[in-house]
Amino acid sequence: MTALTCRFIKLADGLLRGAQVTVCRVGAALQRAPVIQCIRTHRTNTWWDEHLTEDNASFLKKVVTEEYKQQTTDKLNPLKDEPWPRHEWAEGSRRVGLVAVKLGMMPVWTKSGERHVVTMLQVQDCHVVKHLSKEEYNGRTAALIVGGKNISPFHRPEGYLEVFRNAGVPPKQKLTTFCVSDNAIIKPGTPLYAAHFCPGQYVDVTAKTIGKGFQGVMKRWGFKGQPASHGQTKTHRRPGSLGPGGDPAKVFKGKKMPGRMGNIYDTNHGLKVWRVNTKYNILYINGSVPGHRNCLVKVRDSILPTRLENNKNPPFPTFFADGDKELPEDLFDEDMFQFGQPMPE
Amino acid sequence: MLMAARTVCQMLQRRLASSAAAACLSSAELCSHRSALFSKEQVRQRSLYPRTEKIEVTLQGPGLQGTLLVMNRGLSTPYSCTRHLTEWHVKSSALALVDGQPWHMHRPLTHSCDLTLLTFKDDDPQIANQAYWRSCAALLGHVLDRAFKDEFSVELLKLPEVPVTAGAFCCDLVLDSRLDSWTPTEENVRSLTRDALQLIHKDLPWEPLEVSATVALEIFSHSRCKQEEVEERAAQSQNGTVSLYRCGDHVTVSGGPLVARTGLCSQYEVTSVHKVGECEWGVLRRAQGLSLPLNLTVRTSDICTDCERKLIFTMGYSAI
Repeated sequence: MTALTCRFIKLADGLLRGAQVTVCRVGAALQRAPVIQCIRTHRTNTWWDEHLTEDNASFLKKVVTEEYKQQTTDKLNPLKDEPWPRHEWAEGSRRVGLVAVKLGMMPVWTKSGERHVVTMLQVQDCHVVKHLSKEEYNGRTAALIVGGKNISPFHRPEGYLEVFRNAGVPPKQKLTTFCVSDNAIIKPGTPLYAAHFCPGQYVDVTAKTIGKGFQGVMKRWGFKGQPASHGQTKTHRRPGSLGPGGDPAKVFKGKKMPGRMGNIYDTNHGLKVWRVNTKYNILYINGSVPGHRNCLVKVRDSILPTRLENNKNPPFPTFFADGDKELPEDLFDEDMFQFGQPMPE
Repeated sequence: MLMAARTVCQMLQRRLASSAAAACLSSAELCSHRSALFSKEQVRQRSLYPRTEKIEVTLQGPGLQGTLLVMNRGLSTPYSCTRHLTEWHVKSSALALVDGQPWHMHRPLTHSCDLTLLTFKDDDPQIANQAYWRSCAALLGHVLDRAFKDEFSVELLKLPEVPVTAGAFCCDLVLDSRLDSWTPTEENVRSLTRDALQLIHKDLPWEPLEVSATVALEIFSHSRCKQEEVEERAAQSQNGTVSLYRCGDHVTVSGGPLVARTGLCSQYEVTSVHKVGECEWGVLRRAQGLSLPLNLTVRTSDICTDCERKLIFTMGYSAI
């Protein structure tokens, strides 16, 4: 049997204790603040714990209060600058990459006994420094500027330091721009870690190649040159012919000739991540990577169409260290042989 | 039944009162109100010296022994004395010693005296370091005051006197009771650090003012715990005055002199905010930070992060 009743709604402020803020006359307050409102409710004659045992009732009470408390704290963002929303990974979304330092190379073995070489890239002090919206950047995608490796502010111009001051990070040696989809934007000032990449996924690495200086055509373009003996006069490493003869009567633009080689940005695509060390933030990446040791490289998810399968469901938009889950110190790819584990047959 | 009704009425009144009072002034309005009263008092104190009288200030210190400066009474500060010397003195002086007593750089000199300028690189930088630690704590209080949204009330308590050897400076505060179960995340702490670094970049000077207890009570008329702190400090001081410091818009009470400007701090980081326990105002929280002055910098990786995140217990905590 139900009955119509009237219920008083409590005031919306929800202050549990009267905080002793100060002297304000209650009369004045009553005139200003909204007082009490009534709504109509239905009241049943069965109460919620009528059919529960005592233990169950007390357990439910405890669980419900904890759950509500958790919900309120999750929604609470009392500081003026709120954290940005974090979205889930979707097909076709592009997430940010990292800036890392090339440490060196070492061998790894697979479970079937094959030997590969990997390059070790350490992520040192990588922070998101700035966010450029679609309109500011190129009209099509948003961009995030990421910096790696702290340097001293004393030998840099003021304009360069201003960007870092606005983000609240120390000044960085290298700044790179990553095109990201709108659901992957991250607040400037967030640190990025090596756990952003999982073992088994494929990455592209971009870096400035080692400068070789002015080089001849054999080293620069891989020409065959001429034989060393059998009558060759003063012609062993020269380009030979420059093109067809009288019809064009010119050398085409873009003819491969000697010149300055190296010290340009180059990308190696489709490199597999074999292992991720979360304690020292090191990525173990298959094969070689452009650049010399201790140079800064740009690492991002591979765009090769055949490798998109392996890059599904990554930590999106990045790996946040304030989450509850603790990662183990080393994450290995399933094919990789780990020393100390039993030998596979 | 009657008793129950009466307590319900009282609770209702108190809740209405506090909610209405909190709705009275937002934090920005509160700051500008306090700042306006501070300026008024400053102008009044300056008008106590209508005629320009001269005083003789003797400078002590390495390279400056016995230099005599003729300055104005009630108008000249140790900062203006440094401006008569070199730019290096202006930039690096953090604190002054007037007749052996620590004296804030922007506090007007009132009588002929011996002046010593203190920097962080002296042989015995104890006093300067302690003043620096106090100023960093005051800066942290300033940042925390501004960082929260207007609907949440923030009460800053008395700044605890932490020795420099403790490893971090701290600032005690009590937040709105709705935030009792809230713990700040890494991102929140990072945004506090960012606000502090922006304040440091603005290079605002700290303006000192010695006021009587009544004026101080009027300035902090909206905050009961600040008024209690003012009364406590006035009782402890010799002549019943309280020293107030204003940085930008924010007015704070301090137990000792602070350094000259915010720009003297170079590496500033808020490390953590812990819940310490309960006090009469609510859940007590302690925010800790670490900082180094401009001339003494260290590579950020050298600063040990684990020990500074541990809560610091000080002797002064029990006195709060």
